[in-house]
Amino acid sequence: MTRFTLSFDLWMAGLRGTLQYRTDTFIVIVMALAFQGTGFAFIWVVLSRFGSLAGWTLGQVAFLYGLRLIVHAVAGVLTGPFFGLEQQVRTGEFDRYLVRPLSPLLQFMTQRVEISIFGDLLGGIAIFVVADQLVGLAWTPLAFAYLVLAIAGGALVEGATRILIGALSFRFLASQSLLFLGDSVFSTFANYPLTIFGGILRFLFTFAFPLAFVAYIPASVLLGRTAELQVEPLLAYLAPVVGIIWIAASVRVFDRELRNYQSAGH
Amino acid sequence: MPGSEPIIRVDGLVKTFRSPRRHPGPLGALRTLFTREYTVKSAVDGISFNVDRGELIGYIGPNGAGKSTTIKMLTGILVPTSGELRVAGLVPWMHREENALNIGVVFGQRSQLWWDLPLIESFELVAKMYRIAPERYGRDLGRFRELLGLDEFIATPVRQLSLGQRMRGDLTAALLHDPRVVYLDEPTVGLDVVAKERIRTFIEEINRERGTTVILTTHDLADVERLCRRIILIDQGKVLYDGTVERLTASYAPDRVLVVRLASDSANDGTNERPLDLPGVEVAQREAGSIRLRFDPAVMPAPTLINEVVRRYSVSDLSILEPDLESVIRELYERRSAVP
Repeated sequence: MTRFTLSFDLWMAGLRGTLQYRTDTFIVIVMALAFQGTGFAFIWVVLSRFGSLAGWTLGQVAFLYGLRLIVHAVAGVLTGPFFGLEQQVRTGEFDRYLVRPLSPLLQFMTQRVEISIFGDLLGGIAIFVVADQLVGLAWTPLAFAYLVLAIAGGALVEGATRILIGALSFRFLASQSLLFLGDSVFSTFANYPLTIFGGILRFLFTFAFPLAFVAYIPASVLLGRTAELQVEPLLAYLAPVVGIIWIAASVRVFDRELRNYQSAGH
Repeated sequence: MPGSEPIIRVDGLVKTFRSPRRHPGPLGALRTLFTREYTVKSAVDGISFNVDRGELIGYIGPNGAGKSTTIKMLTGILVPTSGELRVAGLVPWMHREENALNIGVVFGQRSQLWWDLPLIESFELVAKMYRIAPERYGRDLGRFRELLGLDEFIATPVRQLSLGQRMRGDLTAALLHDPRVVYLDEPTVGLDVVAKERIRTFIEEINRERGTTVILTTHDLADVERLCRRIILIDQGKVLYDGTVERLTASYAPDRVLVVRLASDSANDGTNERPLDLPGVEVAQREAGSIRLRFDPAVMPAPTLINEVVRRYSVSDLSILEPDLESVIRELYERRSAVP
């Protein structure tokens, strides 16, 4: 528990530090909203022309899109700083996390806060609420609990992916371009029903790399579309668990790769 | 404390860095990208020493000698390639978080404070991280504020602090949890004379009052002369000398220098006609109106030399220079590079 409250205090300090730059904060949030808004506008244009996407109505696709955006924002709460990891490893700035009594990973993730998550979160919630009106779901307490767990699980999958890619920094001193690639894989494939892609991609994203568990499977469960999934409905309900497995593995890899850290200057 | 365990044990410590071999030429960069050949460089090449509790040690050597690499292994930042290493009974890199509770680290070149926040917030976060009891935090911070004069800038964001202020902040942040060992890597680099002296006094105080073991890495030998009883001198990843400053001076630079100012500064001052061919004496430097004689006091006692000089030349002033650590170390490095 002390670990949790300490991490929270460090995160708040990181946030206070980032908020010192007010103009930047404002611009970043607006940019994030604009970026995600454009992405959604594209879907809206397509769907208003064709009516549905692989059997998903506009409301359903928006539901998925909003859910995935919320997941993306939550993942960024702790893994936002990863885009700066390569730089910190190369310059030896990472040293500081290794001489303090808390896991270096937690210290690194809380030293600053990526402000764009607030833009993503606002955009995600807005789209999700509108989509919810369109599809008219009856929210039972159980469904709501599943939604919360699914968001957490999805955020763990996305965050774990960043941790895994970031861990490459210690050995190869470079990870940033791969992180951007990873992010664009998520925003290309996780925002839409996976049924629009080929069977091979669907299979890979379900069983090899659990991208389907980020938003697609939970959205299918909530929208009552489990019949089209490649997994058993029971497994679909367990989607949040996939995140826990994935994060546990990524943290182990990160700690192991950390041994290759060479600092800077001898 | 005779018989007690050394707080730091280093035995045969080695660290090598491996990097892909660079190929020259226009397509070299491409070849480097796919090469399976590596160049291996040993930064630390079999270092051994022990440190007792409460010692204040100067860990010195030229650029690239392996000082920082050793410190980074001692603090747990780097994993040694081979060799034994224990700090307060722990293997630093293996038990990083427990080890962190025992140590304090200051890197002169790089701040560990929260860059965008007022200095006081860094101290508060450190207190939380090390679970420092509030009353002890209040008492110790009060003491540091007084010793280091922190009050005038404690509410200023770290990025706006001067180098000297930042260093005082970093020292406080590294010592608030009362660590058993502190590593100070170039704590006075880039500071003015007053700031340097303040830092030195503080280090001395902490070592004396709390019995904190201090490992000091520096290029400023005045730091070492002022603070350290023992020095460990390393070069090319190996220990060149380990012992007291006095013994080093006595064994490596026994010679002193007699500076003779001559009464007339005419070119014909007589020193050329009547050369000094005395045993254990050599002319180190000759300028218009003055001459420097290097002599070995064991062979030629100072009074005898002065008598001889006064008898031969007309002298207006005399002074004797003691060897300082800097000249000793310069001598040592030069001797080392002469012998391949």
